[in-house]
Parts: sequence; structure tokens; C-alpha cells
Amino acid sequence: MGKHFGELAKLRGIIQFRLSPHEQRAFAGAITQGIPNIFRRIWSELFIVGVPLGLCYMVYDQTEKEHTRLLRKNPADFEHEK
Amino acid sequence: MATFRSTHPLIKILNNALVDLPAPTNISSWWNFGSLLGLCLTTQILTGLFLAMHYTPHVDLAFSSVIHIMRDVNYGWLLRTIHANGASFFFICLYLHVGRGMFYGSYLYMMTWFSGIALLLLTMGAAFMGYVLPWGQMSFWGATVITNLLSAIPYMGDTVVQWVWGGFAVDNATLNRFFSFHFIIPFIIMAVVMIHLLFLHQTGSNNPLGLKSDTDKIPFHPYFTIKDLVGFLIMLSLMCLLTLLNPNLLGDPENFNPANPLVTPVHIQPEWYFLFAYAILRSIPNKLGGVIALLMSILILAILPIWHKSSLRGLSFYPLNKFMFWMMVGTVFILTWIGAKPVEDPYVFIGQLFTVIYFSYFILAPVSLKMWDFLIK
Repeated sequence: MGKHFGELAKLRGIIQFRLSPHEQRAFAGAITQGIPNIFRRIWSELFIVGVPLGLCYMVYDQTEKEHTRLLRKNPADFEHEK
Repeated sequence: MATFRSTHPLIKILNNALVDLPAPTNISSWWNFGSLLGLCLTTQILTGLFLAMHYTPHVDLAFSSVIHIMRDVNYGWLLRTIHANGASFFFICLYLHVGRGMFYGSYLYMMTWFSGIALLLLTMGAAFMGYVLPWGQMSFWGATVITNLLSAIPYMGDTVVQWVWGGFAVDNATLNRFFSFHFIIPFIIMAVVMIHLLFLHQTGSNNPLGLKSDTDKIPFHPYFTIKDLVGFLIMLSLMCLLTLLNPNLLGDPENFNPANPLVTPVHIQPEWYFLFAYAILRSIPNKLGGVIALLMSILILAILPIWHKSSLRGLSFYPLNKFMFWMMVGTVFILTWIGAKPVEDPYVFIGQLFTVIYFSYFILAPVSLKMWDFLIK
């Protein structure tokens, strides 16, 4: 049951071009291109991920500050006692 | 070529799931959480089995039996700490696994998705009952709060609650039956996991592009056996860090006090993985309304495949929906934080606001997908 190898799809006229493993370096460009690629991938998603999470962090921060403020007495309420 | 592993009636089941299973070439690390959940389940069952050899499910003995495990049983402290923190890792993996499903449109495999929701509910039930077993203050009072919610059921509510309790309050009968259910549910989970995988293997896994991948598949072994092994090592390392360096970080200090029905803790709250649902429950000022919202916060996941109307699968090519998804992630974080806060201003308003935002996602997301499809046509 389920699809096994040999039953997945019918493909015709497939031509594959390959280099032998002896004709190539396994990790070619892993550092020179790989590391800049990390920054490219982060930059492309930064606003989509960072803005919502940043907004939520601001909600958390402001709410905690407001809660602390509500625990304090307001000196203006006691002006008449001076 | 017919090999032993592909023809033997029993072995071929394992072969078709773990060796010769066609898997997409492009599945990312977000696809590791399925196997990690299997590892978590195995860990919990093994540690739980050995804990059950030394634990006593009686109100007079439970708390001290846990102390006995921690102090006297050989490596009992390790079994208990792994079991308690393993539950947290179980839920971390669960939420990431569900998040992957929501983001990449994996929910379109409907039977796999629905059996997954059943697994989530079963795991939540098992975790809830497991937390009662040490019979600390938070164990007792958490059980009291949550079981009392059943009284919101019209007409039969009070009867149902007393039936669940086995008496007129959370007491010995409740503890004993919670232990029985906590022991058996993981085996029910194992059976439903097999159903979950049965349906998944009918179609094969989804992939980050959301495209059909039948023309680009590789065998599960060795590519994903090794990748899953790497995932296991990372998760086990994190679990070791937490379990061995800061085992009580995610726990509640109140649970170091034995259960006392005459003393109510100042802040009753569940473990972190239930806090977002707890916040949603408390946001509705009506008892029955709160209970319905609590149930719907999980069951609403079932609406995703039904309301899915976009041309492409997953959110990879829908930037607006990706933004909304991450707002949803932030919303769950906010609700988790609110669930741990007392019922005071301005936490009440924020909880209510973000409850509305949470449920709105499931309405706005399909609308936004349809609109984006129309705009780019």
C-alpha cells in the first residue's frame, strides 16, 4: 500500500548528464558561497519574521510597564493633602 | 529485486516505513519533528515504566513515593527528571510539528491531519493527568480547576464532574484513576501514531515547495535515517542540558509542597505548554463560553483543510500570509505569557485581545490566500 519506487510516476525521454565524483570537489563553494547565502536567506525573511515577533515583544514590554505603573500610587491624587 | 526485507510479512512493514520509503529530496529540518516525537514518546514510555515500579497512586503515599524515587531508587532522580522535562520536549516538538503542518499546507493530507489532532488531544490529556500524580499543591489545585470545568456542561455538568472525580472532590479515587489513564494513554497514542503513519505513507511526505515530488524521491535509508539521527543527537543534547543543569527551570515551586485541600495557592497555573489555552479559557467571562473556547483553541485546527482555497500549497509563495503566520506565532507566545499572569489589568484586556487575534487567523488566512491568488493572476 502507498506508492513504492517504480510506481511513483511515468517519465519518458530522460537524459541525465553527470560528472564523476573523481572530477569534482565534494564541498565546492561551501564556505565562499555558503556563508553569504546564510545572510541572504536571513535578510529575505527578516521583515516577515522579525516585524510580527518584534511587535509582540513591544506589546509584552509595554504591558509589563503599564502593570508596574498601575501598582504605583499617583502623587497627583494626593495633592489636596498638602 | 525481491529481498528478505521486502518480502517477509513482518519485516516488510518496517522496511516500507524506514528503509525503502520514497521521500522527497528537499524536505528541511522542519520535517525532523515527526521522528523526534517518536523518540520523545519512547523516552516517556521507558522512563515512565520504571517510575511506575516505584510510585504509589495513593493520596497518603504518592508525594513521599516520589521523594523515595528521587533519593533512594538507583538513578531514580534521573528517571524522574527525564520524565518531567521529557514532557516539555514532547510539547516543544508537537508545537513545531503542528506549526510546520500549518505553514507548508501539510494539513491537506486530511486523515493524517485529523489523526494528528487526535494525537495532540491524547498527549495533552496524558500530560495533564501525569502532572497530578506527584500530588503536590499545583498537582491537586490544577486538577481541581480543570476538572471543575466539566460542570459547565448544561444539565449533566455536576453529575459528570462527580463521575470523573469518583467522589465529591479531587481525592484518592481521582488520583488512582488518573494514574491508570496516564499509564494506558501512551499505548493508545502508539496505536494512533501507527494510524497517522499509515495515512501519511499512502501519499508520501509533503515538501517545502508544496509541489508534487513523485518525480524526485530518494529512499528513506540512508538519507533520512542519518538526518533523523542528527536530529536525535541535537534534541538529546538539549534535553541533557536542561535535565542535568537546570531541571526545575520549567516547574512550579508550589509543587514542592504536598497537596493541601485547605490551602489554595495564590497563583494556580498549569505547566507552560498549557498556558496559551489557559489564557484563552480565562479571557471569556462566561464559564461555559470559556470551556468552549478552550476546546475550540485546539479543534479549530481541523478547519484548515476545509477552508483551504489557495492555488499553491503552503505559504512559501504568499508573503502576506507568512507575515500573518508569524503574527500567530507571536500571539501564542503572548497568550503563553498572559496565562502565567494574575487576572489583573492590563493583562485581562491583552488576553482578550490576543484571543480574538488567535481565532481570527483561521478566518483571515484563507481570505488573504484567495485575495493574493487573485492579485497575482
